[in-house]
Amino acid sequence: MLSVAGHVVVVVLGLVLSWVLAGPKVELDTPPIKATLVRLGKPRDEKLLPRKEEAPPPPKREAEPVPLPAPAAVPIPSKNAKPEKKARDERKSLFDALNKTARAAPPEELEGAADGDPHGDAAKQEGERYYALITSLVKRNYDVSDTIPEAERRTLHAVVAIRVGTSGELLDVQLKHGSGNALFDSAVLSSVKKTAPYPPPPAHLKDGLKSNGIAFDFTP
Amino acid sequence: MRLPALCLLVVLCPFAALAEQPVLEISGANFRPMPLAVAAPLTQDDGAKKPAAEFDAALMYDFTACGLFQVLDRKGYLSDAKEGVTATAIKFDNWANIGADSLVKTQLSVDGELLRGDLRLFTVAAGREELKVSESVSAKDPRRLAHKLANAVYKHFTRETGPFETHIVFVKKNGAGRDIYLADWDGRNAAGVAVGNINVLPALMPDGGGAAFTSYRRGKPELFSARVGQDPAPLVFAGRMVSGVAYSPDGKRIAYSVSDGENAEVWTAAADGSGQRKLTDTRYFLNSSPTWAPDGKRIAFVSNRAGNPQIYVMSSADGSGVKRVTFQGNYNQTPDWSPRGDLIAFTARDERNAFDLFTINVDSGKVTRLTQDSGNNEEPAFSPSGRLILFTSTRGGTRHPYVMTFDGNNQVPLPIDKGDYSTPDW
Repeated sequence: MLSVAGHVVVVVLGLVLSWVLAGPKVELDTPPIKATLVRLGKPRDEKLLPRKEEAPPPPKREAEPVPLPAPAAVPIPSKNAKPEKKARDERKSLFDALNKTARAAPPEELEGAADGDPHGDAAKQEGERYYALITSLVKRNYDVSDTIPEAERRTLHAVVAIRVGTSGELLDVQLKHGSGNALFDSAVLSSVKKTAPYPPPPAHLKDGLKSNGIAFDFTP
Repeated sequence: MRLPALCLLVVLCPFAALAEQPVLEISGANFRPMPLAVAAPLTQDDGAKKPAAEFDAALMYDFTACGLFQVLDRKGYLSDAKEGVTATAIKFDNWANIGADSLVKTQLSVDGELLRGDLRLFTVAAGREELKVSESVSAKDPRRLAHKLANAVYKHFTRETGPFETHIVFVKKNGAGRDIYLADWDGRNAAGVAVGNINVLPALMPDGGGAAFTSYRRGKPELFSARVGQDPAPLVFAGRMVSGVAYSPDGKRIAYSVSDGENAEVWTAAADGSGQRKLTDTRYFLNSSPTWAPDGKRIAFVSNRAGNPQIYVMSSADGSGVKRVTFQGNYNQTPDWSPRGDLIAFTARDERNAFDLFTINVDSGKVTRLTQDSGNNEEPAFSPSGRLILFTSTRGGTRHPYVMTFDGNNQVPLPIDKGDYSTPDW
């Protein structure tokens, strides 16, 4: 009896271990979550035509200090010098007047939401904020060669699963569902890897992202 | 008792690991052009030297404007211009070091009255020849040779026919008049279709040999058609003002707009102008600018029945099922339906009074902006594959034809003289 029970335990353990090693299950038929990160800004009137979404500007470099010019030598006026002071004063006053009226064009205000994210890249927020943030980051690295045939692009579909540590470190990357196109598969894996390290997950997502991870459903 | 509990625990614990992962949608890939190096053509005899420059210019433009490649600047090339064209003769490290993924090498030679071009395509990282193709054309037309070879490269990568041997029509201002020209896809080799008087709104014939257009040669706008070298022939009169013709995808029918006092209606007819049928019927409103869906079953058009010009679709058979398509903006015009069927491109005036190009997805209604902050951009015309859009832009000062990808990337001017161009068709 004990021997039978022992055999049962070993068989069950073997089955269970094989399921565990296969990793968390990705349901390919379940519609993926769409998450977009709204930027900080004013909402755009929905009746207006859209503006082109621009990529966020690169971080500003600190300007190098400009050296002060050396003081100009003061010419010694000659006895017969003609008075040019009046003409110079008139020109200066004209330029000063023009400078006062000139106004730099106000910087264009990108639309978003009052509670938007400074790193946001969309006019509207959709879904869990952390998911929207990492979606936005992966998209920035989502480069695919333009030579993939048009006819093929319409059917390309790949799923990549990752696990993220509590500090945002990339623990694991797996191609769960290949597209059948080596160029596209390589591009989606690359986009996920280039994005690391990810932002540290919020408390309510930490454990899940470390143990089960998350998957990205890529289409062109 | 302990053993069954232990078994249960061992079985149940891993189920935590079988919990589903959330799956996030990622779309909108940044399709980046492939970095391509195009070596200057080598000439195998003196007769090939003269057409080499024209050939080279056409080939470079084809690769640059099609949106598929990032053609690398020759100023940065490290290899000698006389480097050979076979894999054994090429120093692939030199090409890899400038960032090229692929390399094109060409050779030209003259055989009697024919100009022959041999093209080889290499993958730089692998140092491998991927494609070898030869073509011959009349020595008087080196640009045509370039287009044929470019098409071979395009088809190699995309498995689609390239745009390089297609034709366009456009209007060019000539003093007080407007002339219509038929040209190669890059605007070169232009030949007059309707020269003299005022001729506008051309529609390229499906076989690419001529155009139907609106002409004021008899005092009021009427439809005519003409092929290169032939006199224009009247198409539809209807006794009133007729304009804005569009051929159906199968070339058997035309749609156009007839103005009658305070309103304008969309009509269809056979391609020879017979069998006219009115599709819209809205008193006091204007309906114009028809464009056919690629299956020929629907027509998109502009109507101000809602108070300002918007884009609508209806059945091409009888005008039934009218449905408004655009709801953003208050001035949407010049629609063109993509041959792929999914998008309609149009000109719109935005809240800053700038004219720019947009597409609307016919099914989802999503509007995408293609141009912005670059002068006025108008009058889109899709390429036969739907991959490119031809349009006019004032960004360079005068209104000039440009081409871009269907999603607004790679906006390149046509390499033709400056002038006042309008209403192109492809």
